[in-house]
Amino acid sequence: MFALQLALSGLAQGAIYALVALSMCVVYRATTVVNFGHGDLVMAGAFVVYVLVVLAGLPFLASAVLAVALLFLLGVLIEIGLIERIKAGPHIGFALMCIGFGYVLRGIARGVWGREVLPMPTVFDFPPVIAGDLVVTADALIIFAAVGVLLALFFVLFYRSSAGRVMQAVCQSERGAALVGINVRAFHGVMWGAGAALGAVGGVLIAPLTLLHPGLGASFLIKGFAAMTLGGFGSLGGAVAGGLLLGLAEQWVGGYVSTKLIDVTAYLVIILVLALRPNGLFGRAVAERV
Amino acid sequence: MNYFLGMLACAFAVSAAAEDGVTAGSIKIGVMGPFTGNASSYSKAQIGLDAYYKWVNDQGGVNGRKIETVLEDYACDSAKGVAAVKKLIHQDKVFMLHGNSCSAVAMAIKPIVVEAGIPWVVAHAANGNISSPPVKNIFHGVPVGKTMGIAMGQFVASKPGLTKVAVISHTDDWAKSYCGPANEYLASKNIKPVVQEAFERGQTDSTAQTLKIKQANPDFVIACLYEAETAIFLKDAKKYGLNVPVMGTAGTDLENTLKRVGDLNTVANYYVPHMYADNLDGPRLKKFGDILKKYYPNESVTAFSLIAMGSAMAVVEALKRTGREPTRDKLITELDRTKDFDTGVLAGHISWSPSDRDGVKDVAVAGFVKGKPTVLKAWGKPL
Repeated sequence: MFALQLALSGLAQGAIYALVALSMCVVYRATTVVNFGHGDLVMAGAFVVYVLVVLAGLPFLASAVLAVALLFLLGVLIEIGLIERIKAGPHIGFALMCIGFGYVLRGIARGVWGREVLPMPTVFDFPPVIAGDLVVTADALIIFAAVGVLLALFFVLFYRSSAGRVMQAVCQSERGAALVGINVRAFHGVMWGAGAALGAVGGVLIAPLTLLHPGLGASFLIKGFAAMTLGGFGSLGGAVAGGLLLGLAEQWVGGYVSTKLIDVTAYLVIILVLALRPNGLFGRAVAERV
Repeated sequence: MNYFLGMLACAFAVSAAAEDGVTAGSIKIGVMGPFTGNASSYSKAQIGLDAYYKWVNDQGGVNGRKIETVLEDYACDSAKGVAAVKKLIHQDKVFMLHGNSCSAVAMAIKPIVVEAGIPWVVAHAANGNISSPPVKNIFHGVPVGKTMGIAMGQFVASKPGLTKVAVISHTDDWAKSYCGPANEYLASKNIKPVVQEAFERGQTDSTAQTLKIKQANPDFVIACLYEAETAIFLKDAKKYGLNVPVMGTAGTDLENTLKRVGDLNTVANYYVPHMYADNLDGPRLKKFGDILKKYYPNESVTAFSLIAMGSAMAVVEALKRTGREPTRDKLITELDRTKDFDTGVLAGHISWSPSDRDGVKDVAVAGFVKGKPTVLKAWGKPL
């Protein structure tokens, strides 16, 4: 029962890591940019929903939808206004630009809420389901449901719809996609928007469970990287599996080895995977013809 | 004769001018605090300190000089703390330092302050190693972790029938400064922790820790955690049915913890060391709350807000005794002459000497009684 309880909590945490990893993976797959500012987009999503719920007095669900839409717009604007402009430059420029806008977002949050650690009002205030010694909280159920529905929608859209096929075409070959008339530039904007929106969902889900502060996104960035590494860079399904496995690993390591190791689990995963299986669980080695 | 007096006056003027941070009309004090970041609510201590110095200025200042505070943010980050204190000493050239929450940062800046020889009154950080063993220029203006840890242990041990205690803590020096003395005190009563779990800063879930503690079935939990992690642990304890009292540290307070968990039931069994002479809304502290509100009208009063005002009063008294020509050496001498100084705000009196810089040695405990924060002298015994 102890293991099962840990697993439930690990999967709930892992579902959020999966969302963060998937959103980073979407941007990476579409544009080959590793978004080092992604944690701050998660933080921004949480803060936007806080503003809408607490300050504007909107219902949580409406606030969540609005926050995700606003972050989608922000992602598009980042791509158009910042990333597209430096596309011809060295790749390191992307990383620095991402770090830069991440810190700007953090600075804005600090400027407004500097000295406060903000609590979100309780949103998922339902009694837990208790089966014997097993406690299934409303938080966990809502996170599973929200992430499950979202992931199903995303994968259906990406792999089964005509729009998804267009996306896959651009991911495989931008030049080829452009030659058949696909607007690659618009595609990049949409994918950055989708990445930011998915990250925002992670922020929206974590906001009622924890406390908000401008540095909130930093740990999610590391978890996202670890999940991506575990699943295999560029593998969308791998990112989701990696997130869930990382959540489980953290809880089981804490439960059966030592709680002192929970914090380093993500780093250990990155080191071990890169050392033993660089392509992750589901990634594929890419051979380039030169 | 006139020539001799003129030379003497010049010598005094040069001597006064040579002391950094002192001008004819002002004394510059560096106040470093975590004004941003996830421990930023601790900086309420520095805000209270600043409000008190502003109030002193409005009462005429110190020996005709106004106190000019220079506030520096370090976001509870050691590297930023080192940069902040170097700026205050070498660029702003302050006369003395009076600040610091976050013990880890205080320990990081200690070597720089010791080398500079500048007087530093520690306003809020509780790690006893900051001021012990004593060095010439560092004074602790709040009870140190050891004092509070012992008070925590005494309170926990006062619960009738207590046999099993669990500990959840960060693994840093700050947490050890509370949990170490609390455990030592309990060990002296033959009570050893049945389980000790780590919960690091920045983690957003304490399921593994909470379940392991629940399995150990303790009578009391000692939680040496910062604010955000305290709230997460208390929420998880409620979620998983861990219904035992929790003894926190002075790094948290009842009002903010209640605000963060959003539910009185979750904090109804939560206790913290209490450093004040009265309840926060009690008559003895009203004057200090009013001072804060006068200069920071939008600032809410929490357990951190007034904590540094006591040491600020001691500093002002020592500065007055240094006379018209204050020097750092004179200030250190006068701070060491502070004996049994009743600030009216702190529960304990302040006493410093060259061999003991741990200035405040009395602490109570506060908890919710009938939904209201209440100062307690022992389990179930309001002050």
